[in-house]
Amino acid sequence: MSRVNTVLGPIPAEELGVVAVHEHIGYGMPGSELDTKWWKTPEQRYEETVPKLRKFREYGGGTFVDVTGICNGRDIDYYKSLSAKTGVHIVACTGFVGGDTALPFFERAGVDYLTRQFVHEITVGIGDTGSKAGVIKVGVSRGGRMTELDKRIYRAAARAAVTTGVPILTHLAIDPEPAVAVFEEEGLPLDRVLFGHADDGVNADSTPAAWLAGLGGRIGFDTFGYETELEDPPFWARPRQERLDHFLDFVGKGFLDKALVSADANCSPLGWPGVKGHTVNYLFEDLIPDLRGAGLDEPTIRKLLEDNPADFLTIRD
Amino acid sequence: MTAHTARSSTTVNTVLGPVPADDLGVVAVHEALLSVVPGAEHAYDITMDRAEIFETLAKKLTDFRSHGGGTIVDSTGMFHGRDVRLYEALSRSTGVHIVASTGMGPEELLGGYFLTPQTNPPTPWPAEKFADLFTKEVTEGMVVPRVERRAAAGLVATAAATGGMTATEESLFRGAARTALATGVPVSVRYGADAVHDLDVVLDEKLPADRVVVGGLDRRDAVAAGAPLEVARRGAYVALDHVGLDDSDTYVTDRERAALVLDLVAAGHADRILLSGNATGVAKGQPAHDLPYSYVSSTFVPLAKSLGLGEEDARRVLVDNPRALLTLR
Repeated sequence: MSRVNTVLGPIPAEELGVVAVHEHIGYGMPGSELDTKWWKTPEQRYEETVPKLRKFREYGGGTFVDVTGICNGRDIDYYKSLSAKTGVHIVACTGFVGGDTALPFFERAGVDYLTRQFVHEITVGIGDTGSKAGVIKVGVSRGGRMTELDKRIYRAAARAAVTTGVPILTHLAIDPEPAVAVFEEEGLPLDRVLFGHADDGVNADSTPAAWLAGLGGRIGFDTFGYETELEDPPFWARPRQERLDHFLDFVGKGFLDKALVSADANCSPLGWPGVKGHTVNYLFEDLIPDLRGAGLDEPTIRKLLEDNPADFLTIRD
Repeated sequence: MTAHTARSSTTVNTVLGPVPADDLGVVAVHEALLSVVPGAEHAYDITMDRAEIFETLAKKLTDFRSHGGGTIVDSTGMFHGRDVRLYEALSRSTGVHIVASTGMGPEELLGGYFLTPQTNPPTPWPAEKFADLFTKEVTEGMVVPRVERRAAAGLVATAAATGGMTATEESLFRGAARTALATGVPVSVRYGADAVHDLDVVLDEKLPADRVVVGGLDRRDAVAAGAPLEVARRGAYVALDHVGLDDSDTYVTDRERAALVLDLVAAGHADRILLSGNATGVAKGQPAHDLPYSYVSSTFVPLAKSLGLGEEDARRVLVDNPRALLTLR
């Protein structure tokens, strides 16, 4: 059976439509909830979020994958209301954005406990929401090298992916050798892993995308729109043309099957200012026109935004 | 004298607002009500049944009150399960004053927001930012995360790693001291490797020593090093706050604790001694330290009296000293 877990229940992969595969309704580092400088009223959060999701739907968007990990402000009940009212399918994740976003309770936990946490959230549900996670998030802590905790989380994620058939998305794919070793040791085929942020301005040069794709991994060009041309670009921004060229070069090497694209935008950031002018709708407003301009045909664009993510997100038996 | 200065010179911040310092009664100065290891609220196998938590805590507070207890200080800070609205309801229904704390620490218990912020490079927070965060919890009220502020915090609590104070912990200690200076609440610190060194970090911010309580001074290594006496000499409060812990390799026994109290009294420091049990009323994510809040007054103080602690000094330790510490300056 073709099945993907969304916050409102499982749906057939055939219903996903255009997928934004690496996004955030709202992200904040753990502890940011204590700092009132970031607080927003519920009215403000909905006002900032609903129009973006409605526009995403109007453009033909089908599914929004939220990769806001445990402890980062993941808020399933809120996502459920957003999904029900806008018609956008929302896939939520289990896992952690990186070891440095896992709070002490999880930092102290062993691989077995972390595995049970992830499997429970995928097969039983997240908290008392009844919603099941559709993807597993893992990532590399700040500093550029995988920490011991990062590796423990990767191993637990690999075991949960093998057990449940749900795929893994990574935050960053720098220092990927330990990650690949963990996945291989745990018997997880690399096409169940999306190695993310291969295109960001800080990490692109140290991300061996072709090597990972050659091993079977999927590669996320998923920070599209974080451009130096923006009014107030973040430190991971990159010139628009440079990113596009990087992406076209990757696809030109024969890796179309391995490519996934997204914008990694926050609809309404929780613990940081966010980036003005950057939304998930970059995919429709900028990326698709740029791809057409570069000569990609419609079947290729459909493959990038529909077929590849559907294949990735479908729970494996 | 204006109404404001009259109030601020003689009151203590509780979760139900300022109360006259003379109303505190017997104070348990270093305890935990709801203690949640950060992150445990997201664990798949941990439930947070507020009604059940309330019932358990209410029973313990009622027991404390029935043994003459007046005030509980929750010294766990702002990020270890503090639930201000629950504490308000508990205080109203049991009649026990509850003083809640702002602050955080040690570093290992902080969230990534403070340690690896979304800046390049991800520089941990400096003292000034911690001071601002903690001060607002006194001047504007304690946060219910992302929802609202409630009453003012009654103290600022922090701690250092037992292996030794880290750079971020120094920022926490200095930030806590600045909050105490700015607001008049006291500082409660749990030292790391060296009690006197860690106290000196706080005093270096020009905070008067009598606005500081150093907790954990019934640890064996601190007692062996003479730290309780040295802390008292500097004018800070000495908290022997693991009363009831009698089978620990890390902390002294109650009998040794009582002897230490008598030593401090004999050295002229009766006005600097504080006693508490470090009990956890309800714990999530770690085992509870299931000691009655009344243990100090109902069991330990009689033991200390049998060994020679005078009635007046006992009252000083249980009532007068914590009142002086907690009274807003």
